Amino acid sequence: MLRYILKRLLIAIPLIFGVLTLTFFIIRLAPGDPAAFFIQPGISPNVAEQIRAQYGLNDPLPVQYVKWLANVLQGDFGRSFSRAQQPVVEVIASALPITITIALLTLVANFTFGILIGIISAVRQNSFLDRFLTVTALFFYSMPEFWFALMMIILFALKFPLFPASGLNEIGAEGFGPVGFLLDRVWHLVLPVTVLSINGAAGIARYVRGSMLEVIRQDYIRTARAKGLPEKLVIFRHALRNALLPVITIMGSSLPFIFSGALFIEVIFAFPGMGRVTVEAIFSRDYPLIIANTFISGTLIVLGNLFADVLYAVADPRIKI
Amino acid sequence: MIKQAPVRFSASLRFVVSLSLFFVVFALSSCGGRQAGSGKARTAMDSTLVIAMLGDADYLNPVLGSTVTSSNIMGLIYPSLLQSEFDTSTGLLNYVALNKKLRQTTAGEAKKIPEGAVARSWNFSADHKTLTYTLRSDVFWNDGKPVVSGDFKFTYMLYGNPVIASARQQYLAELVGAEKGQVDFDKAIETPNDTTLVFRFYKPVPEHLALFHTSLTPLPAHHWKNVKPGDLRNSPLNIEPLGAGPYHLKSWTQQQELVLASSPKSLLPKPGNIPLVSFRVVPDYTVRLTQLQTGAVDVVENIKPEDFTALLKANRQLEIKTVGLRVYDYVGWSNIDQKEYHKSGKVIPHPLFGSAKIRLALTHAIDRESIIDGYLKQYGVVCNTDVSPSLKWAYNARITPHAFDPARATALLKAEGWLPGSDGILQKQGKRFSFVLYTNSGNARRNYASVIIQQNLRSIGIDCKLDVQESNVFFENLHQRKLDAWMAGWAIGLEIDPLDVWGSDLNKSRFNFTGYQNPRVDQLCDLAKQKMDPLGAKPYWLEYQEILHRDQPVTFLYWMQETQGFSKRIEGEELNIAGSFYNIDDWRLRPSANIAQ
Repeated sequence: MLRYILKRLLIAIPLIFGVLTLTFFIIRLAPGDPAAFFIQPGISPNVAEQIRAQYGLNDPLPVQYVKWLANVLQGDFGRSFSRAQQPVVEVIASALPITITIALLTLVANFTFGILIGIISAVRQNSFLDRFLTVTALFFYSMPEFWFALMMIILFALKFPLFPASGLNEIGAEGFGPVGFLLDRVWHLVLPVTVLSINGAAGIARYVRGSMLEVIRQDYIRTARAKGLPEKLVIFRHALRNALLPVITIMGSSLPFIFSGALFIEVIFAFPGMGRVTVEAIFSRDYPLIIANTFISGTLIVLGNLFADVLYAVADPRIKI
Repeated sequence: MIKQAPVRFSASLRFVVSLSLFFVVFALSSCGGRQAGSGKARTAMDSTLVIAMLGDADYLNPVLGSTVTSSNIMGLIYPSLLQSEFDTSTGLLNYVALNKKLRQTTAGEAKKIPEGAVARSWNFSADHKTLTYTLRSDVFWNDGKPVVSGDFKFTYMLYGNPVIASARQQYLAELVGAEKGQVDFDKAIETPNDTTLVFRFYKPVPEHLALFHTSLTPLPAHHWKNVKPGDLRNSPLNIEPLGAGPYHLKSWTQQQELVLASSPKSLLPKPGNIPLVSFRVVPDYTVRLTQLQTGAVDVVENIKPEDFTALLKANRQLEIKTVGLRVYDYVGWSNIDQKEYHKSGKVIPHPLFGSAKIRLALTHAIDRESIIDGYLKQYGVVCNTDVSPSLKWAYNARITPHAFDPARATALLKAEGWLPGSDGILQKQGKRFSFVLYTNSGNARRNYASVIIQQNLRSIGIDCKLDVQESNVFFENLHQRKLDAWMAGWAIGLEIDPLDVWGSDLNKSRFNFTGYQNPRVDQLCDLAKQKMDPLGAKPYWLEYQEILHRDQPVTFLYWMQETQGFSKRIEGEELNIAGSFYNIDDWRLRPSANIAQ
């Protein structure tokens, strides 16, 4: 297993490197100019040129690539163009924990609710409850997240002001004491995490329902029941364990979705996380920041997939890796 | 047959119920937590003004800061040599030192207190080439060191340093040496003592321009002298600004919140009235609106007219304030054949829009009033040229707007040989009058206008397709003169200087996207610049507007007032074309107890 993980990690290196190289060329070949902001009346035409020289954008593309490569190999992702020359690593170091918090909370909520709803639907197949949950799940699954987020804000921040509409903390939250501060933070996270997880949970519920239905019809479940095992044990120990196998793969592959979902959520709820950093970097053609973000999300996706494969082997002894 | 065992699922159900209960309790408990803290929160709110911002400030360094947000914040932190005020009765900018004014203004029209200026007075030589400031000796940086003339010279050397690439280097373009490409700072700026500051120009400069260009914000030289120019952008001092103004930086959580605190010792002009001013980053427009409604923020800029009614109905403690007119939208018609120009450098008229008569017909065909009625309402005015009605001294009020008149448009087109073809679209020598109108994405107003324009043109037999491009792509295409027809806008400066946009030298006039050429316009701009008193240039500007009105290089659509949402708990605010935060240090907050619920 360890050898397998090591091998996969080694393969991941050229993969991520290839992704970064592609990104490097694609963003530079795309229309748009990082110095475009400085091309306006009243600003000397020299400024944009001087800025480009500072950013090293006047070199031919291959030269830029070699320089960039040399820096990246030394672990230097450069300085952000659009964020006052802040080192890219610093920008990410402050944004990543926020996104990871949201992603982890969402992941937990996703699977808790998804699996629960899936089991109920499967066990009570074709009942009113099942139909109701299925329709509700489909309803939420097909809803665009950004729109859903805005609706939630209008409902729970405006009509019934229970939750705040944006930010990580209230003004003056530092004065609430550590517990108050934490509660305030959690209170700010309720809406975004709900939005992100309802959508995902609905999808997972469909998976779980499908695979659960398949498992419940298996002979060994009938055997378990015939043995006289309590229903709870049959469902949770015998059926669920087997039904969860395909769901585990989703866990790894849902990471990128949660990350891309965080993109909208962070812009809407004004969280200074990776999603917002990425969106703003793309709009302002902040090349170093775009590449570093690609690196982070690429790495997370590769690791997520690896994690899923390993989990798969752990859960199912028949699979050897 | 297999009989399914009856499924008892009460355990899971119980779990679900308890989980939902947990969430309800959790939500309530956190609300309770808020109420417990709300006494404190209310006190915090009473002493804090919260302004919502679209994006964060970039550098809190006047040499580098280039966003409007940064300028607003720096205006509160740093000292300024002069105070500038906008005289609404004439539309002229005025400059004020402690004991001197450029021109006397009507009382009540301009509200800047002279105490905000570091300069006590100035003296401008008769040849318009030497400007000598006398500075106050009673003003200090926040660390207790005096503000001296050397600070200004030091900072001007940074502004002019090409390594730093300051966006304000254009301000130094008339200083001695600039005519040779490099300002000679030894001769151009002299500081014989701490309270005397002398600027020398290589050519005669009008006094108002000299004052404007020499009053850039200074940095404290003693604080910055060890930073190498090449390291200026990366210096940690950029996020710990040392100023002398009514506020100082209290905290800055980047991309979230920037808080300014009133400086108790400031004499420029005095400590800010409101103890704390918080600038909060809220990138999403709908959320900014929501927060304004719930009272989480006090000021939101650029509210769309379509949202006014709902906003004011939902919260009576809000009001809409307007500033303007500084911004206009237009439809650009390529006057010259761009493809030919790119290929051979030859200037030939554009096959569709090359003639002034055709462009006039297009203007007559577009119903500008209905765009204003439908979208901007009372916050829009038909635009004739790029001289704003707010610049009263130069505005040509005798020009009557080209009316919406499809019949006249058709007649003009017919006279130029454009006749309806079999498909209803106008044709001339087998060529259909068909083109693509480009605009940038994410602008609801322009989307609205473009649809009306499309319908208007279709009704006189012109086929106009719409294409929305991502902003970066759109503006790059525009700058490279790749578009035949587009809709965009300009925000004008308070000094009239249109050569960049209409100048005949297409290489030099980078913003002449249409390729419009008229030697008389070039001449008028030059003549106006040579006048040492701006009012002397008035006849030139009147003629300039008549020419633009006749030639219609573009179809000017409408001037817009910028509309800002304000909480009524703010008092004493004075909005002005020069900015929404014109006198923020004079604003006051009514305590929440006094606000009618």
